Amino acid sequence: MRLFAALATLLLVAGFATGASAHAALVSVDPASGSILKTAPKAVELRFNETVTPGAIRLIDGAGRARDDARIEAAGETISVVMPPDLPQGTAVVSYRVISQDGHPVAGSVIFSVGAPTATKPPTSTDAGLSALIWLARIGLYLGLFVGVGGVFFARWIAWSMTGMTVPRMALLIGIPSAIVSLGVLGLDLLGLPPAALVTAAPWKVAFATSAGPALLVAVASMLLAIMALRSAWYARAFAMIAFIGVGLSLAMTGHAATAPPEMLTRPAIFFHGLGVAFWIGALAPLAALVSKPATAALPVVNRFSRMAVLAVGMLALTGLGLAIVQLERPSALIDTRYGAILSIKLGLAVLLLALAALNRFRLTSALARDEKAAPALRRSILLECAIALGIFALVAGWRFTPPPRTIVPETPLAIHIHTDKAMFQVLVSPGKAGANDFVLQLMTGEGTLLGAKEVTLILSLPERGIEPMAQAASLGPDGYWHVRKVELPFAGRWHVRIDALVTDFEQITLEDDLELAP
Amino acid sequence: MTTLVRLTMSKRPILFLMAALAASPAAAHVTLETKQATVGSYYKAVFAVPHGCAGSPTVKIRVQIPEGVIAVKPMPKAGWSVDVVEGKYATEYDYHGNKLSSGVKEVAWSGGKLPDKYYDEFVMQTLLTDALKPNTTLYFPVVQECETGVSRWIEIPAEQAGHSHEGKSPAPGVKLLPKP
Repeated sequence: MRLFAALATLLLVAGFATGASAHAALVSVDPASGSILKTAPKAVELRFNETVTPGAIRLIDGAGRARDDARIEAAGETISVVMPPDLPQGTAVVSYRVISQDGHPVAGSVIFSVGAPTATKPPTSTDAGLSALIWLARIGLYLGLFVGVGGVFFARWIAWSMTGMTVPRMALLIGIPSAIVSLGVLGLDLLGLPPAALVTAAPWKVAFATSAGPALLVAVASMLLAIMALRSAWYARAFAMIAFIGVGLSLAMTGHAATAPPEMLTRPAIFFHGLGVAFWIGALAPLAALVSKPATAALPVVNRFSRMAVLAVGMLALTGLGLAIVQLERPSALIDTRYGAILSIKLGLAVLLLALAALNRFRLTSALARDEKAAPALRRSILLECAIALGIFALVAGWRFTPPPRTIVPETPLAIHIHTDKAMFQVLVSPGKAGANDFVLQLMTGEGTLLGAKEVTLILSLPERGIEPMAQAASLGPDGYWHVRKVELPFAGRWHVRIDALVTDFEQITLEDDLELAP
Repeated sequence: MTTLVRLTMSKRPILFLMAALAASPAAAHVTLETKQATVGSYYKAVFAVPHGCAGSPTVKIRVQIPEGVIAVKPMPKAGWSVDVVEGKYATEYDYHGNKLSSGVKEVAWSGGKLPDKYYDEFVMQTLLTDALKPNTTLYFPVVQECETGVSRWIEIPAEQAGHSHEGKSPAPGVKLLPKP
């Protein structure tokens, strides 16, 4: 127990140290995508909702040539792509691939035309083969961690016997190469390189620098320890325990759930969720082998496991529910986003798994105690549980490709950025057309940290139409930004936006700018 | 926050009045009576409060003391209690041979009630140290709290902006003159 407490503390500290949110989203682009400019811009500026690391950023100019002389300048959440001076007329494409805090790549492209549009096409960036490999490697990794490490833990701490270790051993032998492949393909994905580039150092270096690098290292170490714990040696039990805890640690170190705010809650939640899965799923294969043996040998183990499994399942359900609420934000996202759809199916399968577990616990285990004929039924039920668990792994591995609803930014809102030495205000207006608009005011200090304010007022006017300043109080949302909903802007045109942010009782920061509202 | 909205609306008739009179452009704001002062000398700051917050009576006046202003002594006022908040200065100031590193940072008069239709003044004595830059304006941000609502006289124009556009609720200011 003391070890657990120490690890939880470590996790908390890690959570604090890595700072804010995850899974980056593009907030604004200057010049706006699709714009037609008289002269070539000096730079294309991409602003994200969090600090990002540039991965592969490419420029294709109006003549259709890929250019390698665009300079990339990254500063916090902004990436500037400085254009070469001789940019020809026509449509240019900047395709970008950046790495979010959660270690996942975010890609897209910005199109703008100098003079008149031409037919330059953005490069196709998603490679179906690579995605399949990423997905398979992840399933392999889950097998190694949950079936492999979890199985060894079961054998050493619950069953006290090495019966049925064939499957966990195989899972470990699949898991270790899968973890290594995961790292490599992540690097390929981040840099947009073909599989052949795995022989070069670049993808490995990039991937290792993300949060996924150390996490996979911990995973590999856990699986190696579990393999060593298969041998009967004095250290076997200790190694099995360390490996087991490593599963939770590795999962809590990366991914969009672990980096969701509040991290001091989500990271420990992932940690315990992972432990719960490893405990439960890891036990299935050895249990199936055990119940084929005479009941006198199997019964005490099954009973011991059943007692502890109730605890593990409760912890799984609790942490899973908490994480789902954080990631989804609203119940409707269960249906109308891909992330939510995966979660819905996962929940369905989990309920099925729970029903089977309950059947095993309350019907078949007691039947086994009475007569031995229940063994084949229990064995079948456990094998079915294994199949469902595999299905859940395959589903969860698919989350790698879908951003959680929490991070989805409403599509292309009108955005302006007002900047002085003291503060930077990012104003998002959606839908950015005449009519009712929602405003999101992101207030930052000059250094780019969140600016704390007591009150924020949005003042809008349209001088050309004689609309006098209208003041509206903004309310602070749970996301740390200020919101004004349903602001009636009756006409298209050049609106004047002014934001008063009361920082202390005696100090107010006022910034203003113009905003072109579409009809 | 609704105060601000109401403030804008209630000020419109006053703006007409301002255009008509033109001679006293600051009549609608909380202002300092004496508009000029010499650095390195005592200054009697008289805060004129011409009206409440959108018709609501004033119940509290808080004044923030800017850096470089020391030896602050508020004048007691019948019917009001006066409080001061002390704090550290950014640097040390010489005061009759003593080094002062802390002192009054905020003065608040409260407990009274000034109806919107009356006018009153709140007074303090201050010393404008030599550290202040002559030929600039020194601002004393004021928060006027009323029975309902708050008016914040805290807007300080950017240095270069000069006359460009005066805000809705400027902080009262005094122009600093060089030592003779």
